[in-house]
Amino acid sequence: MSILKAVINAFRKTPDTVKYPYGPLVIPKGFRGAIVIDTEKCSGCGLCVRDCPAAGLELIKESRQDYQLIHYPARCAYCGQCEDSCARGAISHSNDLVEPTYDSDEWVVVLKHQSGD
Amino acid sequence: MNKISIPIGPQHPLLKEPLTMNIDISGERVLGGTLRLGYVHRGIERLAQQKTYVQNVHLIERICGICSHVHTTTFCHAVETLLGIDVPIRAQYIRALMCELERVHSHLLWLGIIAKHVGLDTIFMHTWHDRELALDIMEEVSGGRVSHAANQIGGVRFDLSQEQEAMIRKTVNDLSDKANTLMDVIENEPVLQARTKGVAPLSAETIKNYCVVGPVARASGVDVDMRRDHPPPPYDRLTFNVITRQDGDAWARTVVRAEETRETLKLCHTILDEMPDGPVSVRAPRKVPEGEVVVRSEAPRGELLYYLRSDGSENPARLKVRTPTLPALNLIPKQLSAIHVADIPVVMAGVDLCIACADR
Amino acid sequence: MISGLFYLLLFPGLLFQVICSLFFEWLDRKLLARFQRRVGPPWFQPLADLIKLFSKEDLLPEGANDLVATLLPLISLSAVLTAGLYIPIAGFTPFSFEGDLIVILFLMSVPTLAYYLAGVVSVGVYSILGGSRSLLQFFSYEVPLLIALSGPAIMSGSWSVEQIMISQGSMGPFILFQPVGFVLAVVGLIGKLKRDPLDIPKAKSEVVGGPLTEFTGAKMGLWHLVMNIQAVLGIFLLTNLYLGWTKTFNPLVAVVVFIIEFLVLVVILSGASAIYARLRIDQLAGLGWRILVPLSLLQIGFVILMGI
Ligand code: SF4
Ligand code: SF4
Repeated sequence: MSILKAVINAFRKTPDTVKYPYGPLVIPKGFRGAIVIDTEKCSGCGLCVRDCPAAGLELIKESRQDYQLIHYPARCAYCGQCEDSCARGAISHSNDLVEPTYDSDEWVVVLKHQSGD
Repeated sequence: MNKISIPIGPQHPLLKEPLTMNIDISGERVLGGTLRLGYVHRGIERLAQQKTYVQNVHLIERICGICSHVHTTTFCHAVETLLGIDVPIRAQYIRALMCELERVHSHLLWLGIIAKHVGLDTIFMHTWHDRELALDIMEEVSGGRVSHAANQIGGVRFDLSQEQEAMIRKTVNDLSDKANTLMDVIENEPVLQARTKGVAPLSAETIKNYCVVGPVARASGVDVDMRRDHPPPPYDRLTFNVITRQDGDAWARTVVRAEETRETLKLCHTILDEMPDGPVSVRAPRKVPEGEVVVRSEAPRGELLYYLRSDGSENPARLKVRTPTLPALNLIPKQLSAIHVADIPVVMAGVDLCIACADR
Repeated sequence: MISGLFYLLLFPGLLFQVICSLFFEWLDRKLLARFQRRVGPPWFQPLADLIKLFSKEDLLPEGANDLVATLLPLISLSAVLTAGLYIPIAGFTPFSFEGDLIVILFLMSVPTLAYYLAGVVSVGVYSILGGSRSLLQFFSYEVPLLIALSGPAIMSGSWSVEQIMISQGSMGPFILFQPVGFVLAVVGLIGKLKRDPLDIPKAKSEVVGGPLTEFTGAKMGLWHLVMNIQAVLGIFLLTNLYLGWTKTFNPLVAVVVFIIEFLVLVVILSGASAIYARLRIDQLAGLGWRILVPLSLLQIGFVILMGI
């Protein structure tokens, strides 16, 4: 009757499911959260857009100086490919959780807006 | 008693993923049944032709929610073979480590499900909690519990630090203890044995006729394991035991998976011990030279086969995935005769269904 | 008149039994959760569930007989509540008469039959399958249960629960003389309540919800209430028949002892549902007729021999 032993042990320990939602949320270091960008480094090359598997990024380019890098958080698969593809290390995942949304089409984040002079 | 037909699925407490079975029963006896699939067909193979190889790594990861890593590993292996690049040894070992952890959590998940299906909810809760440990390791090293995004063509995306290795060792030890307790419980549980012993036995011949692979085949005495028979690197350098049983019934499948969990945990230690230092990835070109390749590897549910044809462009010309579940699904209607209604869950669980894999 | 209403509605009637059943459900779920390493529900969860069920939409599939489907849980509820009036609680027996044990056992098997009928009138395939299973199960556990429960009656020479308790007061609790009978009675009770591990008629992975698959809303709530009251009464009955030496004590001690015995039985029931897997219906029938019935007959034979 080793199951009896397991059950008794389980009864004596504190339950395992108690941690959330009141405990602290431990997010591992490599967690792929919301997309952030270092606008200084980004040059608008579009490598990240080319490799994004989920059409989560878009580059609207008028000219070299005039472009917008747009992120659609609701389409994004949080796969980390853009971070890998960017040669300048501009775009990356933060550790922040991404909030849910009701209207996925409306949710647009302009990561970088560079307007020509 | 007259014949009635009961529908199981697409929504039923027994099923975790959608499929339909129409089962003819008479009283408590099952006379036969038919199977219908295709509810989660997403056209991934076609979609893969429209995406680049780099994007496909992430697409392929979405085929399955349990064995996602082995899918990408096999795909990357196929692409790397076509490219003719050598993946760093360390990257191969990290891939293998993730594959083995995935096997552990897949098998533990399965043990929980069979226990749940025979009404042993306690074991279900306990195994599913223990399984979290394996998931925790994977989340810690790769950043995702299910979609690890660990692979890239040419290697892996992350390296293991010293602390991480120590953490993995500790957790794997922990997991071994828990797995031992669990096996002890399962082996000494009389009702579980009464429910699974002798249920829907399959002969080795049937298994071979239906091309069934993986733990189901090994439970019937068919000794196949791609990790040993056609080892993708680094399995050619690793030694491990392949567990087989002769009976072929639901109990044998339980025991095979339970023993395999233990064996896999041992293998995790071996991998960590033998892991060399070095880089974890090499640069891979975006365009893949013309050619075709077939690679095989051992997913938790059995042999996984990828066929990849390239026409020299950035996108694959054809990608064919053969998942281990599909042949096992063909066996279900065959098993659904001369059993009790109460055995249906045991039979269904016995083949370890992954409908998302089978439908793609 | 007033005291009659008091007995009927407050103690040991409706209110007391409902409160007990809610407490039982909470305790059972909490214990099971802790056995399974979970936290378990807060104390008001059963009540909240009940209120939720009563406020939900009441649906039945086309072709089901609504009137019968409504009457069945009501009849079962009245049957168990009536049975509750005759079961002594901590030695308190307002309506005891010779032969009340038989009346109690009869009333307590009404819900099982109603359960079967509920499966048949609600026309789902799973309901019918579950209904026929519940009848099969009924035949497997009821015989050993009845034989086992006649043990205390034979030993004390009376079919009145009060009389049985009085003779236990002088002879000591009957569990000492009939341990096998007690175990059989617990098994029978689990079968009667269709709890894990004998929840064959409503096994989720096989027949979805069993006979109650198609029931919703208030009817479902009533069924839950019936099952829980039945569980509480079954426990009370076993306590009285096998551990019922409380009659001679001073009432305060009797209440404390009674509560402790109740808790012990709840732990036994929850533990059984945590550590055993569900049997197949043919395995249960085999167990019932090949093992439990002979065992119960042996126990009775032993009791009769002791009496001589
Ligand atoms: S994380 Fe992946 S899906 Fe999201 S924007 Fe980056 S590349 Fe696209
Ligand atoms: S984030 Fe990086 S890859 Fe994307 S446009 Fe900017 S510089 Fe190029």
